[in-house]
Amino acid sequence: MRLAGAELVGSREILRDQWLQTYHAPDLVSGARAGQFVHVRTGDYSGMVLRRPFSYNTVDPATGTLTIHFRTIGRGTEWFTHLRPGDRVEMLGPLGRPFEVDPRSQHLLLIAGGLGMAGVRALADEAIRAGREVTVLFGGATAHDVYPSSLLPDEVEYVVATDDGSVGHRGYVTDLVPEYEAWADQAFACGPLPMLKALARLATTRRSRMGVASLGRKRGGGKPVPAGSAQARRKAFLQVSMEQNMGCAVGACLGCVVMSTSGTPQRVCREGPVFAADEIDWEAGW
Amino acid sequence: MKARRRVVTSSTGRVTAAKRQPTVRKFKSAFASVGSAPMAARTASPAGPVARPTSAVAPTPTDVEVDLAVDLGRGLVLRNPILVASGTFGYGIEYGEVVEVQRLGAICCKGTTLKARIGNPTPRVTETPAGMLNSIGLQNPGVDAVIAKYSDTWASWEVPVIVNVAGESVGDYVEVVRRLEGVPGIAGIELNISCPNVGKGGLQFAIDADAAAGVTAAVRRATDLPLLVKLSPNVADIRPIARAIADAGADALTAVNTLSGIAIGPTRARPLLGNIYGGLSGPAIKPVALRVVYEVAQVVDIPVVAIGGVTDLADVLDFLSVGAVAVQVGTAIFADPTLPVRLIDELGAECRRRGLTSYQPLIGTALPARTGAPSARGVEYRP
Repeated sequence: MRLAGAELVGSREILRDQWLQTYHAPDLVSGARAGQFVHVRTGDYSGMVLRRPFSYNTVDPATGTLTIHFRTIGRGTEWFTHLRPGDRVEMLGPLGRPFEVDPRSQHLLLIAGGLGMAGVRALADEAIRAGREVTVLFGGATAHDVYPSSLLPDEVEYVVATDDGSVGHRGYVTDLVPEYEAWADQAFACGPLPMLKALARLATTRRSRMGVASLGRKRGGGKPVPAGSAQARRKAFLQVSMEQNMGCAVGACLGCVVMSTSGTPQRVCREGPVFAADEIDWEAGW
Repeated sequence: MKARRRVVTSSTGRVTAAKRQPTVRKFKSAFASVGSAPMAARTASPAGPVARPTSAVAPTPTDVEVDLAVDLGRGLVLRNPILVASGTFGYGIEYGEVVEVQRLGAICCKGTTLKARIGNPTPRVTETPAGMLNSIGLQNPGVDAVIAKYSDTWASWEVPVIVNVAGESVGDYVEVVRRLEGVPGIAGIELNISCPNVGKGGLQFAIDADAAAGVTAAVRRATDLPLLVKLSPNVADIRPIARAIADAGADALTAVNTLSGIAIGPTRARPLLGNIYGGLSGPAIKPVALRVVYEVAQVVDIPVVAIGGVTDLADVLDFLSVGAVAVQVGTAIFADPTLPVRLIDELGAECRRRGLTSYQPLIGTALPARTGAPSARGVEYRP
């Protein structure tokens, strides 16, 4: 965790109300991993007292730059769109725990709902660098909301679903998942809560639906792994990146919790934002 | 430079401070080891707000060593009057190396209850104009877990840790405090009788003078630890309540907790927060906090620690001027984690600029003339 300045290098509206900004921030790029996030201070402290959390959308250690991808939903995100190249902001990061890919996983399924692309986008780069195959399933409302394929690495297979059928599959992105379940060694998702909930349900019944027998040694040798640990996530078929209103982003204020199956609230900023899907109590209602 | 040397002193003095016994009254200034010149400067510092050096003969800024130490009573002597507020700084470890924790005046830890609490449903926080609403609902692992997990770390620190205590009944408060009594690393208690976000044990103690005095007196009987009581602004008249708490044996008062409020979700189908009600904090509540401190400082003779919307040195000076002896920084930490430590330096620099050797003359300057100087010193220990 470091507190460092970041200089805006480029800013553009890639989709209606959706922005992609590139910042030069070498201190925040080194050691950052997919799934982690930065907490960015707005310049207008008198009006906006909270920082804004953004996932690392892409990370380029060679140039020391990172990108963030956001939708303008309020005064804070609006403020960021008015920044010009050369402007500086202060970022706290890298924060949170990253996605954990099992070393044996060769086929990664990334599932993004809308802005959820920002949560899993960096993992596509990481996986391709490591020689893995990546399929990205994307769900949006209409063709206007579909993340441009030109912004994804060439090696990625990109499958789109839209609610109105204007591009790709008509329906939810979760409809596409069963087709890739057998191919995928692990799945990583970020998006609206109902989508994650549906994916978690699919993941729990995956083995029985595919007719996989539980034979022999399990991954990890059947040793119990502590909940919330990196191993627990590495072993899980589905990892999800959660979202919650955030205060401090370092685990001090307990504002951004999600309920876990163990009955104790877990901080999205500290124990998350990436959780194994079976760590989350999806029925808790919070 | 002396300012820099002071930092080094505090971080290397860790070994000697390991077994801090909070109830032992021992005035140990942070500058005692710096040299003899500051000592002379301190003895020359005025006892009240009357003897103020004229700015015309102010010495060169770097010559003056400013005494920022503050006595909150019962041996709780802070090296400087900048504290971090309960609930915004966790247990002191969360910000890691980003904040120079050991330089702070004191840390007020997250509200601690007898049994573990899972807190309120989410969303728990939301930004509002110039402020934020929170409704955490006192999520914490319970007093025993807090002691087991953090007290060893705290005991090795030089910065005092004040444990914020909450409960649903007088018995709860007393039991929590009993368990904290005598634990190394715990420098004091801040009684949270004013949390607006829990069903029981929240406001009902803070809005009634008798109930507030009752819980304060019960806790006072149970512990010799320095005892701060945190007031709620959600009352019609704070003065009788403050007076009752002071009479019941509190060593100092903290003012104020958050203001109760609600926010509406974007669909306007229901209030935004999971708990519906939340506590408003941030710059938005500063005028209210100033008013409460102004009123309380005139009716009690124990120190008042101000809290509410502090974001810069001007806010600190404002609160000092209405009678606070120390200031807690809360919500502003979220945007600027290094602010509290910077405020310590800025307060010292401001005193030097004005030619003061202590910040005490800044206290109470805006209070009405007919009132005496507010207490800048803790009450003596009365067994």
